[in-house]
Amino acid sequence: MVELKPEDMKDIQGFVMSGYAHLPCVSYQMLSVVNATAARGWLRNLVSAVTTSEGKQDISSLNVALTYHGLTALGLETSALESFSRPFIEGMATPHRSRILGDNNDDNTPDKWDWGGNNSEPIDILLLLFAQDEPTLDSVIKDQQAKYQTGGLAKVVALGAGRQPDIHEHFGFADGLGQPAIEGTFQTKDAPAGNVIKAGEMLLSYINDYGKPAESPMVSLASDRNGLLPEPPPLTESNSAQPATRDLGRNGSYLVFRQLAQHVARFCQFLEEATLQPDGQLDPAASTKLAAKFVGRWQSGAPLVMSPDADNPDLAKADDFAYRDIDDRGFKCPIGSHIRRSNPRDSLGPTAAKAKVTANRHRILRRGRSYGDRPKDRLVDDGVARGLHFLCLNSDIERQFEFVQQTWCNNPVFGGLNGEVDPLVGNLTRGDEIFTVQADPLRTRVHNLERFVTVKGGAYFFLPSMSALRYLAAL
Amino acid sequence: MAQMLLTFLTRVKPDKLDELRGILDNDIAANLLDNPYLPFPSLTRLHFASLFLDEGTTYGSYLVFENNFDGPLDDYLAELYTQAAPGLHRIYGCCLDYTAASAADREGILAYLRKHIVRPNAYHIGNPGRSVARTLRESGLRDRLESFLDDFVRAEPSGQQPGLIRKKVQDFIRDEPESAWVAQAEPRQTRREWFTPRLKLGLLIVAAFLLLPILIPVAIIWAVVLRYKEKRDPVPDKFDDIVRRVGGLVEREDRTHVVQNHLAHMTVLKPGLFRRCTLWLVLWLVNFVARTSDKGKLSGIPSIHYAHWSMIDNGRRLLFVSNFDGSWENYLDDFIDKASYGLTAVWSNTQHFPRTFFLFGQGADDGSRFKAWARDKQVYTNVWYCAYPSLTVETIDNNSDIREQLYAAADESAAREWLWRF
Repeated sequence: MVELKPEDMKDIQGFVMSGYAHLPCVSYQMLSVVNATAARGWLRNLVSAVTTSEGKQDISSLNVALTYHGLTALGLETSALESFSRPFIEGMATPHRSRILGDNNDDNTPDKWDWGGNNSEPIDILLLLFAQDEPTLDSVIKDQQAKYQTGGLAKVVALGAGRQPDIHEHFGFADGLGQPAIEGTFQTKDAPAGNVIKAGEMLLSYINDYGKPAESPMVSLASDRNGLLPEPPPLTESNSAQPATRDLGRNGSYLVFRQLAQHVARFCQFLEEATLQPDGQLDPAASTKLAAKFVGRWQSGAPLVMSPDADNPDLAKADDFAYRDIDDRGFKCPIGSHIRRSNPRDSLGPTAAKAKVTANRHRILRRGRSYGDRPKDRLVDDGVARGLHFLCLNSDIERQFEFVQQTWCNNPVFGGLNGEVDPLVGNLTRGDEIFTVQADPLRTRVHNLERFVTVKGGAYFFLPSMSALRYLAAL
Repeated sequence: MAQMLLTFLTRVKPDKLDELRGILDNDIAANLLDNPYLPFPSLTRLHFASLFLDEGTTYGSYLVFENNFDGPLDDYLAELYTQAAPGLHRIYGCCLDYTAASAADREGILAYLRKHIVRPNAYHIGNPGRSVARTLRESGLRDRLESFLDDFVRAEPSGQQPGLIRKKVQDFIRDEPESAWVAQAEPRQTRREWFTPRLKLGLLIVAAFLLLPILIPVAIIWAVVLRYKEKRDPVPDKFDDIVRRVGGLVEREDRTHVVQNHLAHMTVLKPGLFRRCTLWLVLWLVNFVARTSDKGKLSGIPSIHYAHWSMIDNGRRLLFVSNFDGSWENYLDDFIDKASYGLTAVWSNTQHFPRTFFLFGQGADDGSRFKAWARDKQVYTNVWYCAYPSLTVETIDNNSDIREQLYAAADESAAREWLWRF
């Protein structure tokens, strides 16, 4: 194992190592480049304000990411643009991607997205602003707006996450649990061994889970006039001709952003109706349990495999568990539940060990935040927009984020199931949507699930290293 | 009769290539289930089929028509002709050496097809012995049982003994006149079908043992030559134009809610007779082993319905087609994690494959490079059909198990396990 060096930590944006839980107020500013020269000047001045992985900021943090469109607008050379990964180049809204992500239905289609979609203005740059309280955030936003508006950029959309009272998302469940930890960093300190992943699973050019450097975009040597970028990792095949390049991706990552609106009233009403007693009486305990079966954890975060019958706040943070030995059949935690789909741990494959290896090749670092106020009455649709700004990091969008969404969440035959998808983030399009609650001796199937989550926008970003930001500013 | 796998491999007339591509993409693929060329749903013996063009290589342009069907061959061809004669005539009218005067020329069309049959060097069947008819029947039965059990749960939420529940299911099916077939025995394989490949494999092992004194020196020489060659084979770090090419390929993928996908793959062998002989031998052995797989798994991969490897162009190229469950990424992951020895031994004989160590080693372990190689050699599938697009190998097996064990003698614990299948 290789420890990440202090100079690398200084080069990596802070958002990779931390979700800034100590800064509860957030604004995501999506910008477009109006004047490339001015925008590069703005970026040059911005670099010193960007939070790195070494310099924790108590009051506010700032990070910056770019889309393919944005890199093009800033004037990055064609050969470098072409060396990015295919999903990043093509963007999130292609027809094939809509099929695999579950965005090919009337509600979720990128044709209707508020931003990042087929009928909205292209996004070039994402400015992530975090602050300890509302007044601080307001002043940070004002300060940054003044700078980018005079710096050749225009605001496309600003998404505020607002302050949330706790880590529970709008359906009531503790969010952000079960994260992988990057090998060679402080993240591994309290992490269960099974949750430690190679640095190359998150950071480009580092060794990934296959023992190879993660694919990374390269620029021509000549374009790096100031010698800002590192050399590329050595090639494993020395017999192919190699043009002189510099590594634009090292210490950077890919950032996935999806805005997921949550229909809280629809969710709660559905749970009530699905668990009515034969005499028509409400059954709040059954309703709470069905929601937990959907998720795979109780509202506190306690995993169903460890506490199958009732919530247990003592297990709220528990993450050192697996499925095969204690719940192979899904009697405790349903096979199709959200957490079992999005990280099947040791459950898929010929042996537990092999299954774990495979599952760990598809991990993502989630960095999401809820947005919108909590409803006063969870059963009434008050018309207020609320949901989750789902953000995650990975080094291979296709193998990590897209794989989880496609091969696990949206897979109607996941783990031997027969025609159902993830009840929360799956593509519910077939009419009678079912969810199977396995039980001994006989399962129950919940019918006619509705779509509780709608995609409102999304894009793929490149979260560059500090050196790469300096290089881009100097183009 | 057991399932059969084959391809019709024909050369396309250069001036007809555009016309044929138009027929495949615009006329057939766009109206897969209802097109005037190949009325797939009327082909009652057909499991999976694909048509694709391998364009503009040094070998000319080929049309590959992949067929996975219930034998015997004569019956399949007869049905194909009866249902699709005009379409076949139009399609093969675009190919070289086709001489049938009209769609009514039954002998001419069938003779042409027979002449261009390529039988795979090695193949795999995920659900041996399950005909199209049986697969669909058992799937329908499963759906009816699921609904019955839904009603049962609603009426009697808990506290029932497994044996009693199973008894009620049996009564329900017994009362259905259309379900009389359920009770009739329908073995997946005859004893002979099961026994013959195992006997052959046994004999092969005995023969190999007896011939050891000859085989060992041959193997040593072979290994030395192989190692010399695999150290020097060129392996590219990057493939040209991969982003645009893959963008085109994925257009056709994941159409069926990601339940099934198709992969067509064409590779050129490394030059020389040595690689050709090695590959032929490897495929021969792979086929021996695949014939003894009755659990639906190919080298530990549980998700392949039908796959063929065929050496074509006098053994200079390798055609691979596969009909598999799940996403391309997942399939390739399975290759890497579960079957890397076997597939490395096959494809390391073809160009640009990631570097290997004594034929079996390394190679596909280099996940990213292996995936880039696989995408680079993939051929766009113009037309792809499946008779049961929502079923996986695993589901088909489970449906068969449910049916076969419905009336079998069972104590409480067996009845319980049977109910877990839902």
